[in-house]
Amino acid sequence: MIGKIRDIWQRVKTLRNADPPEKSDDEALRREFKLRYMQFRRLLNANDKALKTISEMDAVLVGTKPFGMSFIRSRAALLFVNVFQIIQHLNTLADGRHQALFDAFTRLKQEISPLLEYAPGPDTGPAILELSEIDKTHVEAAGVKMASLGDITKKLNVEIPPGFVVTASAYHRFMRHNRLHEEINQRIQSHDGESLDQMYRLSSILQQLVMQAPVPEDVASEIQEAVKRLASVGPGPPALAVRSSGVNEDLPGASFAGQYRSLLNVNPEHIISAYKEVVAGKYNVTAMSYRFNRGLRDEDIVMCVGCLKMVDAVCGGVLYTRNPIDIRDDTVIINSVWGLPKLVVDGRSATDRIVVSRKPLAIVAKNIALKKVVYQCHAAEGICRETLDDAQAGTASLTDDQALNLARLAVAIEQYYGDPQDIEWAIDAGNKIVILQCRPLAMTPAEEKDEQSKDETTRESSADSLEEVTQDRAGEADSASLRILLRGGITASRGVGAGPVHILKKEVDNLSFAAGEVMVISQSLPGYAVLLDRAAAVIAEYGSISSHLANVAREYEVPVIFGVKGAMDALENGHTVTVDADGLKVYEGKAVHLLKKKVKNRHMMADTPVYNILKQVVPHVSPLNLLNPDSPGFSPENCRSLHDIIRYCHEKAVHEMFRFGRKHEFPERSSKQLVAEVPMQWWILNLDDGFAEEVDGPKVRLDNITSIPMLALWEGINRVPWGGPPPIDAKGFMSVMFEATRNTALLPDMRSRYNLRNYFMIARNYCSLTSRFGFHFATVESYVGDRVMENYVIFRFKGGAADDFRKMRRIQLITEILEDVSFRVTVTEDALSARFEDYPMDIMKNRLNILGYLIMHTRQLDMVMSNSNMVGHYRSKIRTDIERLFSPQRL
Amino acid sequence: MNSLHILLVDDEPDFVENLAERLRLRGFAIHTASNGADALELMRGHQFQGVVLDVIMPGMDGLETLREIKKIDDTVEVVLLTGHARVDAALEGVRAGAFDYLIKPVDIDELSFRLQDACEKRALVLRSRST
Repeated sequence: MIGKIRDIWQRVKTLRNADPPEKSDDEALRREFKLRYMQFRRLLNANDKALKTISEMDAVLVGTKPFGMSFIRSRAALLFVNVFQIIQHLNTLADGRHQALFDAFTRLKQEISPLLEYAPGPDTGPAILELSEIDKTHVEAAGVKMASLGDITKKLNVEIPPGFVVTASAYHRFMRHNRLHEEINQRIQSHDGESLDQMYRLSSILQQLVMQAPVPEDVASEIQEAVKRLASVGPGPPALAVRSSGVNEDLPGASFAGQYRSLLNVNPEHIISAYKEVVAGKYNVTAMSYRFNRGLRDEDIVMCVGCLKMVDAVCGGVLYTRNPIDIRDDTVIINSVWGLPKLVVDGRSATDRIVVSRKPLAIVAKNIALKKVVYQCHAAEGICRETLDDAQAGTASLTDDQALNLARLAVAIEQYYGDPQDIEWAIDAGNKIVILQCRPLAMTPAEEKDEQSKDETTRESSADSLEEVTQDRAGEADSASLRILLRGGITASRGVGAGPVHILKKEVDNLSFAAGEVMVISQSLPGYAVLLDRAAAVIAEYGSISSHLANVAREYEVPVIFGVKGAMDALENGHTVTVDADGLKVYEGKAVHLLKKKVKNRHMMADTPVYNILKQVVPHVSPLNLLNPDSPGFSPENCRSLHDIIRYCHEKAVHEMFRFGRKHEFPERSSKQLVAEVPMQWWILNLDDGFAEEVDGPKVRLDNITSIPMLALWEGINRVPWGGPPPIDAKGFMSVMFEATRNTALLPDMRSRYNLRNYFMIARNYCSLTSRFGFHFATVESYVGDRVMENYVIFRFKGGAADDFRKMRRIQLITEILEDVSFRVTVTEDALSARFEDYPMDIMKNRLNILGYLIMHTRQLDMVMSNSNMVGHYRSKIRTDIERLFSPQRL
Repeated sequence: MNSLHILLVDDEPDFVENLAERLRLRGFAIHTASNGADALELMRGHQFQGVVLDVIMPGMDGLETLREIKKIDDTVEVVLLTGHARVDAALEGVRAGAFDYLIKPVDIDELSFRLQDACEKRALVLRSRST
């Protein structure tokens, strides 16, 4: 397709060269310009989408909302597709002169792709393993629960029901069959919204998908063979218990207790459907939201399924080999009921509770409950609830001997595993103890539980009483009630930190900053980042959470609040404060209780598989290393991230559009000088439909211009006549002169990419302005039309004469003003980039007005930037002007 | 204004119906097919300006369908729409000449803008060809 367009252009060009200019030739050229502009617009569109995708990825990594693999995979796919299109479009515009970008692209794809791969695991190996032939080395094939069962019977000679496992390999074959896994992933990605009812709907769709999918024939017949073998051994009806046995249930913090499905007393004829039902149980709502929140990938959970002969239980239950809420209490706690242990597992009924000490092995407590309900196997299939008469209901379901035997077995199992265990057991009609399941017991340290219940109280209190609670707790902790000095702002890095206030007014103050102090600054300038390894916390009056300072702070886990207006005045040097970046409050003194809580300054998904994958992906995606288009390092070879490629292509595409317009001797599309009263030259290149009427002469009048963004910018440029350069102090002037001798790019007569004029490239909805005002270099690019989601303004600003310090001050001033009107500002070294997007036309125009004003009135400001009174003066003048002239809507 | 004729191809009937309805409200003339083979059949009988194509479908998948569609009419613009976003499939689609690649759940405005752009491009290219 792209080739085709190129062919057409080629043809158009040949046509034009062959014949002398005619009317039809003009038509062809106009069409060529139109095609080019369309190509350019598609590039801008892909550019916009790629940048939005990058900020989305950055945002979730530092945010608090959980995300899944489908987020990472879909964003990566979008990003690659858009970057690829950008490169294609650029090469079409530039007759293929940027092929080297494809190498950079391929390199990055090779770095990122392996992190995202998904394929069902290996499907080699048997579909069935007999329980009698497996041990704990078979976790990968048989899942944790079944491998443990096989293990204890082998090693400890513990009685377990006879049975087999439908393996991981069988699961993968099932998932791969008819691309069931793709269908599932597709539904997970397409599902929108995180509300519970959305989750329920997705869950039911996925479970239905699994239930309706056919099990591959070879797997099905192996399962049926295994059932037949099972029926032939031992007495009793061949009814089955079909239980989940997930692989990777032992992932960090991933306790899956009770999330998955078990089916009891399954008729062997229905084994295939029961198998599918247990597999489908992977998509029950609890399990799905748990995986999502714990950052587990869908494919991290492989469902093996155990098929065990049903135990004809006289009584059964669950025991803990230790007290789960008190690690020091090593008594064995047995819960028991009549019939099947399911009642205990579900926690639905009163149970007998027998506590047995280890040394000596003795019953130390016995609570016999009135157990009116009993679960029993139904004659046909499934289980049924029956009611017991009071006599039996009130009798102990377990004799003392049985309890002691159980406890002895439990201790042996715990000793074998070395960790406390949670064991499901039954006793059959022959008085034999049968172990149905055993897994590590999730221990809750007593202290932590205590803390949790306190938190519960806090959460229940209303916002107002929260302070009281806080004060009460502070009172407990250090008998001082704490005053709240400041509140509000945004969390840039989570956590709580305390220390003496140290107000930094400029970077030279850095040297006096001591370890353990709380940094208080006006602006989140990158230069302060060097202090983060010793700062207890940071408070800034202005700043964006995607700024460099914020990024580094999160890396160092330093609590940071941005946007605390008035912090510089409200806080006093040397006074100790506590910064609660989670609660967005600054307290007087040390809030010991808050500090003790040790709020983890980490993403809730930190260290989960999904989070770690995104963390590895992002460094190849979002850092911008190509900052200066004038530097020789601005090349495809130096593109180290997708963002670099995007930046490079954008720069070159704008340049291509410009070059093309200049190179063609097509009078109506050569650049025109704007008839204007401003004492500067303004040149305009019409890319497509930026003029109301075609202009043949060298000049264009403003009333012939239709470009919406250009007109808005122009209005701002001309709103207030520029008062001439500000009065320069001698030091400022020297500094400018010095910089000019050092940096030849700043000299007015030196080569520059677009000469020294101010250039507009325009179309009806587009405008790009490149200008060198005085010593600095500014570009504005904007697309403004009826499609709100495609509207944007990007402002880039760089350089300037005067030393770094003055430059930084000016950048700081511009940052403040732009952030005031909701631009997203990023400052890297002395380059500022500000973006404002996705608002309707009138708001976009308003922001362009403001930019036009700023471009005119901040030029050469760095000469006066050494004088903080002057800075203050200009800041308030600019702010007042903007308010008065443009009254920007606050968003 | 003449409506743009768009063919929606997706194997999820609920999804197709819902999307078709919403695009019709935005002034498109929508035709639907639930698999690749039906889509090609329709392509042979109708002139479409654009196609919205699901990538994963039973039988002939989206990428294969895309190539066949282009054989029938190389001017028609195809927007891929997938619930199973994968880097390689996405790139393959664009290389095979898809106008754009979008993921589900899709913003209806975004889809309709892309369709408008695709049709506009088609019109421009056709006009260039005719000279």
